[in-house]
Formats: sequence, structure tokens, C-alpha cells
Amino acid sequence: MKLQQPKLARIAAGPGAILVMALAAPGAGAQSVDTSEWICEFCPFQSGYHGDYEVGATNVSEDSAYLGDATGYDEAGVYADLGGDGAYTRDGHSLRWTLEDLGLESRSAAIEGAKSGRFDYRLAYRELPRRQFNTTTTIFDASGGDLSLPASWVSAADTSGFSSLDTTLSSQAIASDRSYYEIGGNYLPGSNWKLSADYRRQQQEGSKIIGGSYYTNAALLPVRIDYATDEVDLGIRYAKDSLTLALGWYLSDFDNGQTGFGWQHPFTTAAGAEFATLAAPPDNRFQQLTLSAAYAFPAYNAHASLSAAFGEIEQTEPFLAYSSNPLLSTAALPRSDLDGGIDTSRLAFAFTASPFTRTKIRLSYRHDERDNKTARDLWNRVIADSFVSGELELNVPYSFTHDTLRASAEYRLFDTLRVSAGYDRIDKDYDFQEVAEHSEDTGWGRIRWRPLQTLELDARGGTSRRDVDRYDEIFAATLGQNPLLRKYNLAYRYREFGEISLSYSPPDLPLSIVFDSLYAEDTYTNSQLGLTGGEQIRFGADANWLVTDRATVYLNIGFDNLSSDQSGSEASGAADWRATGDDDFSTVGAGLTLNSIADKFDLKFDYTRSSGDSRITIDTMNSGGTEFPKLLSDFDQLRATLSYQRSEHLEVNLELRYQSFSTEDWALQGVAPATIPVVLSLGATPYDDDVFIAGISFRYRINN
Amino acid sequence: MKNAEPYRRIGSGMRANILKYLAVALLASAPLALHAQSGEETVSKYTRKGADTCLSCHEDAAALAIFATAHAVPLDPRSPFGHGQLQCEACHGPGDTHAGRVRRGAERPPLIYFNERDNTAVEVENSMCMDCHASDVGIGWHAGAHAFDEVSCADCHQSHARVDAVTQTSTQAEVCAACHQLQKNETLKAFAHPLFEEKMSCTACHGMHGDTVAAQLARVTLNDTCYQCHADKRGPYLWEHAPVSEDCGLCHAPHGSNHPGMLTQRAPLLCQGCHSQDGHPSVAYEDDGLASAMPSRYLLAQGCMNCHSQVHGSNHPSGTKLTR
Repeated sequence: MKLQQPKLARIAAGPGAILVMALAAPGAGAQSVDTSEWICEFCPFQSGYHGDYEVGATNVSEDSAYLGDATGYDEAGVYADLGGDGAYTRDGHSLRWTLEDLGLESRSAAIEGAKSGRFDYRLAYRELPRRQFNTTTTIFDASGGDLSLPASWVSAADTSGFSSLDTTLSSQAIASDRSYYEIGGNYLPGSNWKLSADYRRQQQEGSKIIGGSYYTNAALLPVRIDYATDEVDLGIRYAKDSLTLALGWYLSDFDNGQTGFGWQHPFTTAAGAEFATLAAPPDNRFQQLTLSAAYAFPAYNAHASLSAAFGEIEQTEPFLAYSSNPLLSTAALPRSDLDGGIDTSRLAFAFTASPFTRTKIRLSYRHDERDNKTARDLWNRVIADSFVSGELELNVPYSFTHDTLRASAEYRLFDTLRVSAGYDRIDKDYDFQEVAEHSEDTGWGRIRWRPLQTLELDARGGTSRRDVDRYDEIFAATLGQNPLLRKYNLAYRYREFGEISLSYSPPDLPLSIVFDSLYAEDTYTNSQLGLTGGEQIRFGADANWLVTDRATVYLNIGFDNLSSDQSGSEASGAADWRATGDDDFSTVGAGLTLNSIADKFDLKFDYTRSSGDSRITIDTMNSGGTEFPKLLSDFDQLRATLSYQRSEHLEVNLELRYQSFSTEDWALQGVAPATIPVVLSLGATPYDDDVFIAGISFRYRINN
Repeated sequence: MKNAEPYRRIGSGMRANILKYLAVALLASAPLALHAQSGEETVSKYTRKGADTCLSCHEDAAALAIFATAHAVPLDPRSPFGHGQLQCEACHGPGDTHAGRVRRGAERPPLIYFNERDNTAVEVENSMCMDCHASDVGIGWHAGAHAFDEVSCADCHQSHARVDAVTQTSTQAEVCAACHQLQKNETLKAFAHPLFEEKMSCTACHGMHGDTVAAQLARVTLNDTCYQCHADKRGPYLWEHAPVSEDCGLCHAPHGSNHPGMLTQRAPLLCQGCHSQDGHPSVAYEDDGLASAMPSRYLLAQGCMNCHSQVHGSNHPSGTKLTR
């Protein structure tokens, strides 16, 4: 006879005793259970193999970088639709495989296996395409590594003199593909231990845009990228009774195959400055050791956790020369590479408890530090590969610490009403910045009221104030800053904020309605220049209705507005211009799902619309107020899917999708490669894409 | 004895995944009541035959799907269906009273049912899961927003499903959006990470099981979290840009933005929030700098980044102005 000590009894004897005493099954704790007759003859335990294989084709009507970004549907044409999943289970071992979108550049594959209760492992692979713009063109040739000009190129002081531009431009996609590989697993050597290991590799290959400048001229360069990042997570965890201990090690190693790259200036330059170099992101390595512990106290439902993380970043990429101009003589570099090093540390403590039946408290403290130990040196500076500036400049290795204290308490006034309040304090210390330290105090209150079992109101609001010990205007002046400027992340700030959520689910009706809203207003009272104010308003509403057990309907809407005010001074004195930014965004989604129509068909319709509308106005003393044309974006998607269960094994799926995305963007509108006299751009234009996607696929199921 | 008041958010489960709700509806259609009988106290024992008792009524697909999961592996002694374990009642609690006779028209006594109509305290529900899954949950779970707000494991996880939607990249965001709809809406902005496209999960950045990191981030700091995919921005650089080193969120809106690069604001205004030096940083650029008038390098194409393209930092010895 097997006597099983029930879990409820074990919980009741442990730290959750107070709550468990209120459990719906009182008295359970005293039982011992005779499970000898629990033979589970009706239990359909899985054993053997089952799998779904999907084959089909999808047609995409038009090229669209935006709509193909991440999805892989970026070019018109027919794509193979290949995928499936399956699982094999036997004797406590399981193996599951998944294949998705194999015919696309967003494909993924994974294998997960386990011996339940002993170990598990996974192998995964996926790709993520990044696509931008439909119309970019360039004169540069990157086939030799550096970016070179066409042989027939005629340099000029500005773009109007580029006489061979039209004949030398060729199409240039701004695109990259990110590949992810992962292998990892967990091993449970005993009931209390867990060992875990995970290795991930990301590779990103393709191109991106970067500006290369010469004095006041610049050319946008389509630069090749070839990045790889390796990550390792190792962990060991011990958990017994009320104590959990964990030790983890994390490594992130970034490898960029190039120190920098060069390009030929399309503009007329000084002698020897025709060729310039840009530094590429340097190789770097980050390691971090984390020690954590958590303990559940035997009374008051009290828990405490402590975590310490110590990390180190290293960067030793060799430097490029001050200049690639062979006619310039420059001093030797202070050192051949940065030999950069940053120590990071995080100490965190948290405590929660219910000291009284109706009360919960939470206290946490966190210390984060970034200690940049990179040596400081005096550096020459070559301006535009033309001359040495003559002024030596010190590199500035920024360091800072953040200390965060949070305390809150909740009191259950009635079973239907809970009130809570909290206080947060954040202290930040900086090196080499206008502010050495500032602190932010936040007080908030919250009520959660459930007058009916089906109606809940959750409201939270508060204020915060960031105080600055001293904004060092003298230091700011050494950086050439207007002393009246206050950088917004270092400035005095007063914030008011509030959130309200309302949830309602009518009794006996499978309908839920949820309304969420958020409001925050920032005032930078002491900032005469820079950001002086900001406000955000957001709301969302969502309704889901299970009309019948086979039909569901949903509707959701959302709106948000972000606005900001800032001031500037052209005259190096008091504010003489003011700018406002106003970003509106709205979205609506609706859908209908009908399942098991005639026991064979599932039908689903989804519609999503979102639109952005950003307005910028500038008020100056000279011209009065001017408003930029609106920055607009509109996205629409209508999607219909039909599944037909042809037989027990065969399912046929049809999908029709219409997507539309358009933008109006004055930064791109009418900007051909030579439109800006001093910038040779890539001629990217705003998006105006309409795409129809139609697909059919067959899903075949095998069960053994 | 009065039950502790549950505080699961109304509707969260249904909005999380309509399939999940269908499963609930199917279960509800079986002869099993979701509500307690008011005013009656009944001491329940475990059933005499375990799962066989339960399955004599709960034979629908949604309930039986658990046998395709790790919760129902007989050879795993830690599984609820492992040898000598309590099978369905390991999680749902003693079911003898629930399975017994009830008066005609009366509701059956409840079990721990892990759904929004369940009257069991969330902490008790979660204890049932944590008894086996404590090591799967972060050290700081107790102090995280989910735990403090009494979010139930079952609000996000489907323990009976062959594939738990919240663990899948393609379906996870919809589960999280059940409570975080404002964040979901942001992902529909013109420039956002590909969550709407179902190619990225919320857990790529957030550790939903809690830690003492703000916003329950996946790594120790916000920047460390971003560097998981953007390690090229980590540096350290010879010429650093101070806000970049401190907090990516000072310039980027990670859930989405109206502006390219997920920037919080357009250049040059974004840059002019911190740069006021004489000359071009302090000038008010107006609409006469647009392409139709006198095209301005400060407004058009990449704006300030036409020249200051190394805004994340430069490792070039002549790159102090972040142009090299």
C-alpha cells in the first residue's frame, strides 16, 4: 500500500499555513492517501509518435521592405510554405520538433527533448530579416571591402556639381539577416539541484546606413556589417524547503570582423583627404557572475531574497590611425588600443511579508554601479583628415551608480477593497557630467476595488520629484554649453502620474470588457533651455465576447499622445525659440472566429488599423510660429483564414491577407540623392506599400 | 470558514487566449460546477480512484490534453501522474466531495480550478504550482509585480495544453497583452520590435517571473538587456556618449515609436534637448529647411546623424565629435 502525503498537507505545514487554512478544501491537510487503487485505467498516456507536416505556397503581390521586415515577405513572388511539428514519447522520454516558415527568411527550427524529471535539452535555430526602404540607391561600390567611388566620378563642392551622379547610381538594399543558434539544457541530479547550461550565437550580416562626413559635407554610406555575438549562461540552483540558492555565470562576446572601414569622399577635399576612415563597433566581451539566495520564513508569509552580480566589460580593439591622410604627420597614439575596462556590480535585496492578516508589505533596495576604469589620455584630433586641431582632448570614461529604495504596503480594508501606498527613492551619482548627484522621491497610492465579483477598479497615482544638488554651469561651459541648459536626464523634474484600469465581466455572460488608461506630466521648472515639459496620455479598451462555444468576437481600441516642450537659444543667452512636439497614435482591432462550422471548417477574420500623427512647431522671435508638415503613418491589415478538416489526418488552410503601410515624412519626402546640397543621401523615400498575400497549405497528421 | 478573496484580474484569462477560454467553456459544460455553494461547508477527501474518478466525467479534449504534457508522465516520480502521485488532485485538490452526489439543481462543491471564476486564493493556487516549479521561477518572484499583485500562474500558463501559448514566440505577446494592452498597442506603432509580426517575444527583454530589476528585465540592467541583441553598442568606446552608457531608454522607446529607430523624438530636437553649443546645435531649424525650400542637412535624411553618425560612441582616435 502506498501512502502519499498530500501536497496540501505539506503546504499547510509550511510557510503558507495562514492562507492554506483558508483553502476551499479544509481538512485535507490531515489526510494520508491510499493510492493503491489509483490505476488510471482511463488515462490516455501518450506513447509513440505523432506529427503534423505542412506543405503549401504563398503568393505575395508586391515588393515591400516594411511589410517584409521580420516576416520575410519582402519581395513579390511565390514562397514555399513548409513547416510542421511532432513529438515522440516513450518510457518517460520525449522529443518534440518544430519547423516554421522554412520557405522564408524568417524560418525557425527547434528540437526539444527530455527525460521527464531528469534532464531536458533544446536545439534551436531561427532567422530574422531586417529590411528598410524600397528605393535606396548609391554610387559606392563595397565589393573591395572599403567603399569606393565609380571610376567616372566627378567630385564637386556640393551635390549640384555631381555631373556623373545619374549615370553612376545603382540600387542598394539596406537589409540584414540575423541568424540565431541555440543549444542548451537542464539536468536534475537530485530532487534539490538543477544544473543548466545554454549557448547562443547570433550572426548579423548585411548592410546598414552610416554617415561619413567631411567638414560640413556628408555622404550616407551603405556599410556592410558582419557581426557575431556568442552568449553563454551557466547556472546551478539548489532548492530545499524554504531556501533557494543560485549561482550563475553569463558571457557575452561580441565579434565584429573589422576594426573600421574606409570610403572615398564624393565631395572635393583637401589634398590627401580623399579617403577617410570610420571606426566600426569594437569587439567586446562581458562576463558576469551572479549569486542569489531566497528564503521563505516560517511565519507571516515572509520572503527575502538577496542577489549580487559582478561583471566586467573588456574592449581591446586596435585603433585606427588619427587620419588616413598620408600627407599629414600626427603624433603617435597614446596607446594602440583602448584597453577599456568597466566593472559592473549590482546588489539587490527584497523582502515581502504579511505581518497582519490584512496587510502586505514589500521592501526592496538595489545598488547598480558602472565603474569605467578605462585610462584617460590626451588625444590629438585630426579634423576632416585635413589638419591637426592643435588641442589635446581627454577621453571621458563615464561612470555612475544608481541606488534604488522602494517600500510599499497594502491593506485589505474590506474583502472588496484594498488600498496601498508606496515610497520610492532613487539616488544617482555621475562622474564627468554637469551633475554629480541627484535624487528622486516618489510617493504613490493605489486602490483596488471590487464592488462586484465581476467588476474591478484599479487606480494608482502619485507624484515624484527629482532634486539636483547642483547643476555645474561652469563645467557645462567648458563643454561649450549654454549655462541655462538643463539636460533632461540630469535636470530637476516634477512628475504627476496616474493610472486607472476598469475590468468588467457580466455575470453569466462570457464577455469581458477592460479599460486601461495612463497619464503622466513632467515639469522641468528649473530648465530655461532644453526640455521644459512633457505629457503622456494613453488609453486602451478591449472587449472579448464568447458568443457561443463556437464563435468569438473581439474589439480593441487604443490611443496615446506624447507631447513635449523645449526651448533653445540661438543667441547663447536666454531662450529665443521654443519647440513643441505632439505625437498621436491610435489603433483599432476587431475580429471574429467561428469554429467547427459543419464540424469541418474554422473561419477567422482579423482587422488591425494603426495610425501615427506627429506634429512639430517651432516658435522663434524672428519668424513667429511655424509648423512642420505632419509626420503620418498608416497601417492596415485585413486577414482571413479558413481551415478545412478534410479528414482525421488532413487539414487544408487558406489565408488571404491585405496589408497597407504608408508614411508621410518630411525628412525623406522629395529628398533625392542630390537634393541636400551638402549631403549625398541614398534617396530613401517614404513608404507607400500595398500588398496582397494569398496562401494555401496542407497539413497532414500522422499518429502512431 | 471563509475563503480568502481572490484577486485575479477580471477577464484576464479570457483575453489572454481565446482558445484557453474555449477550453474553460468546454470544461464548464461538463457536469462540474465552478462556484462554491454559498453558506455550506464541506470537508473534502481525496477520491477513491484518483484520475479514473475525474475522467469519468471530464473526458473532453481540453481536459485530456494534459496527457500529452510533462504533467502526465507515469515514469517521472515528480510528475502529478508519476507513480504514487495524486494525479488530477495533485493540483486541483481533494475531489471526493466534488465528485460525490449532489442534490438535483445544486452546484457541485468547487475544486481549485485555476480560472477566473475560481474562488481559491491566488497564493494557494500558485503554491500548488510552486511545489514543483520553485526552481523554474526567479529568486525574486515574491517581490515582483506579478506576485505582489497576485497574478496566478494559470493567468499566463495553460497546464493542460500540449503547447503552452506563453512559452511560444508566436503566441506569447497575445497572452501578455491580456493585462498589458497599452504596451501591446505601442508595438503597433510604425517603428517597433517585431512583436506584432510574432517574431519576437516579450520574454526576450522581460523576465516575467520576477527579479529585483526594474520592469522585470531579463538582464541585470536595461542596457544589459538591450545588449543581448545589440552588443555592438556596448563599448566601452574611446569617445563615449554619456546617456548611451547609462540608459538606452533616454533616447529610445523600446515598445515602439512614431519615429524611425524607435527614437522618442525627431532629430534635431531630440539632440537639442542636451546640446546647446554655439553654432548649429543651438539653431531653431524651421520648415524652410525642407526639401521644397532650402534643403537642410540638419533636418533631412538622417538629420544630425548625417554627420554625427557614431551616436552610440566612437572608437576612432579622431572621433571625439562622434563623426568618425
